[in-house]
Amino acid sequence: MIKYLKKYCDILAPSGMEDALRTQIIKDIKDSGCTYNTDSVGNLIVFKQGKNRRNKKVLLSAHMDEVGFMITKIDDDGYLRFNMVGGIDRRVVSGKRIVFCESGIQGLVSSKSIHMQTPEERGKCEPLTEMYIDIGATSREQASKYVSIGDCAAFMPNYTELGNGLICSKAIDDRFGCAVLVAMINSQLEYDTYFAFNTCEEVGCDGAKVVAHFLQPDIVIALESTTAGDVAGIPENKCACKVGNGAVLSIMDRSTIYSKELLELAVSAAEEKNIKWQYKNVIAGGNEAGVYQRAAAGAKVLAISAPTRYIHSQSNIAALADMEAVAKLSAALNERSFD
Amino acid sequence: MNALYEIIQNLTSYSGVSGFESMSFQTLCPYIKSLNLFDETGTTPVGSFYGIIRCGKENAPMLLLDAHLDTVGFVVTELCDGGFLRVAPVGGIAPKILPSSIVNIYGKKTIKGVFASKPPHLQSAGESEQKMDIADLSIDTGLPLEELKDIVRIGTPVGFPCELQKMLNDNLAGASFDDRLCGAIILRALQTIDKSQLNYDIAFQFSGNEETGYKGAMTTAYRLNPEKAIVIDVTHANVPGAPDVFKDIHAGKGSVITLSPQTNRAFTKQVISIAENNGIPYQLSAFPIRTGTNSNAVQTTRNGIPVCLISVPLKNMHTMSEVVNLNDALNTAKLIAAVINQKEQSND
Repeated sequence: MIKYLKKYCDILAPSGMEDALRTQIIKDIKDSGCTYNTDSVGNLIVFKQGKNRRNKKVLLSAHMDEVGFMITKIDDDGYLRFNMVGGIDRRVVSGKRIVFCESGIQGLVSSKSIHMQTPEERGKCEPLTEMYIDIGATSREQASKYVSIGDCAAFMPNYTELGNGLICSKAIDDRFGCAVLVAMINSQLEYDTYFAFNTCEEVGCDGAKVVAHFLQPDIVIALESTTAGDVAGIPENKCACKVGNGAVLSIMDRSTIYSKELLELAVSAAEEKNIKWQYKNVIAGGNEAGVYQRAAAGAKVLAISAPTRYIHSQSNIAALADMEAVAKLSAALNERSFD
Repeated sequence: MNALYEIIQNLTSYSGVSGFESMSFQTLCPYIKSLNLFDETGTTPVGSFYGIIRCGKENAPMLLLDAHLDTVGFVVTELCDGGFLRVAPVGGIAPKILPSSIVNIYGKKTIKGVFASKPPHLQSAGESEQKMDIADLSIDTGLPLEELKDIVRIGTPVGFPCELQKMLNDNLAGASFDDRLCGAIILRALQTIDKSQLNYDIAFQFSGNEETGYKGAMTTAYRLNPEKAIVIDVTHANVPGAPDVFKDIHAGKGSVITLSPQTNRAFTKQVISIAENNGIPYQLSAFPIRTGTNSNAVQTTRNGIPVCLISVPLKNMHTMSEVVNLNDALNTAKLIAAVINQKEQSND
């Protein structure tokens, strides 16, 4: 799983620009004996036969896309104005390195230096309209040779190990889910299983809407990164979940109340196999499970997540042990017939 | 340009948060010595490195070239549960660039950390508009507190790692260009001069403690006792939203020569005419009060030392992504070499 994770984290795939990642995933699964197809919005749907059939159609889902940046205007002096693709707090972008997807042009998200800020401005983060991307171009004409309006960029690939068994990278959300699915597809499965690698989750779970309609699954398990708030100064009851405490099971978030039955199955599978797990202790966030639950004739849904600090920034931090726990737990759960 | 790039790459790879410059000496000193430029080198108690090229004449006057070695950064003020660090800034750093930024923590060994950001689910509406305070931020080390205590203590310095990034038009992004870049420029200039023709000594001081009060420059200049000095530092290039005063300084348009009461006007005019005569591009800037560089500290050392301030336009100063146009850096090296050559001819 880890060998896939590093490779996937380093690929650029902001929402709507998932092609490079999808190509890599196909390379990694095509010899596994699965069948797969890519749909009209770029989702990759995979079917892998198990040793046995089951009555329920079971889907494991992860999203390929990451948050990023899109050029909205090119200034006369060659600076690029931009907006976020997906939900990025503007306070995590200033000074950060980015790369444009197709051209490979590198840039910097920039804003006024501290010396140029007025006393009232000091300490504040300016609105997005006062930030810009610098690629080194000095005129609109020159910049236009390399980039154009609508081009997308992602944070610069920066996968690194940190502290005790932690990974720090852009896009652990949700390359980690993709890595778990690819590892599963390359393993021997107990039951027939569908897998979806979706596009455009960060801009409204659009890929999942199409997959849900196409597959009409009975049971969906979404593998995600969920925000871990266990940072200095945050009280325990507001942490949501903690890095190092195992796979995260959500009871409820802003889009879904999860299937009680699936949750009980997950907890019993975790206890049985001695897999570390934790509940998410705040009602926040949301993911593709919410889409699957309400699409077509509806499905029972569950989310198993890796606790991840600083999602939607250049420095997502997650623990290898937690990601292994999610992989084990989803594999254990997928050994059930769900009858 | 490659020779200069290589020196920049080396000089920016050493730690050196203001006040903790000596931590870099073990790697910096052997590197500078390996360039074989200086007849004498040394370090000072206030965090400066210096090197002297002797012309061989007794009691020869000395031209001093100053850049500063120290960089902005942080010091650890508290070790917290869960392996987090609280820090205080060393020098002026805008909090807005910090969340999710990667830093080096220079403890018993160097470890990485990430400035934590507040999870979105805990943010209230309008919070992005509020002022941030570095004291409220923390650095995530990913280590258990017990393990962290073995490596880091209160007072441990923290700095931005420098990853060089090439951009269009010979622009280069990196950290600690303020003012390691100018150290590199001086070393590059000294590589290009003919030392056998010198009739005066040349000293390079890589001063400590600039960001925190110019202390390295005043004490090292005192020790070296030069006749004249050129201070080389970075200055702000125009960027979108810049105040009017910076709007005419452009990256890529040459060195910036400063007119100020804190520099010597006659010497400065001489440098301007050398630039003119050698076809080296330059821009003028005016600082009627403080230059915010070592110029005043050097100028008021001992009986007073005439100083010229040459600056290199820089974008995003005091961030992990400072941007310089390498042509400006090369032209500054040329200008310094031209000043040295001119002094040879005029025997000034």
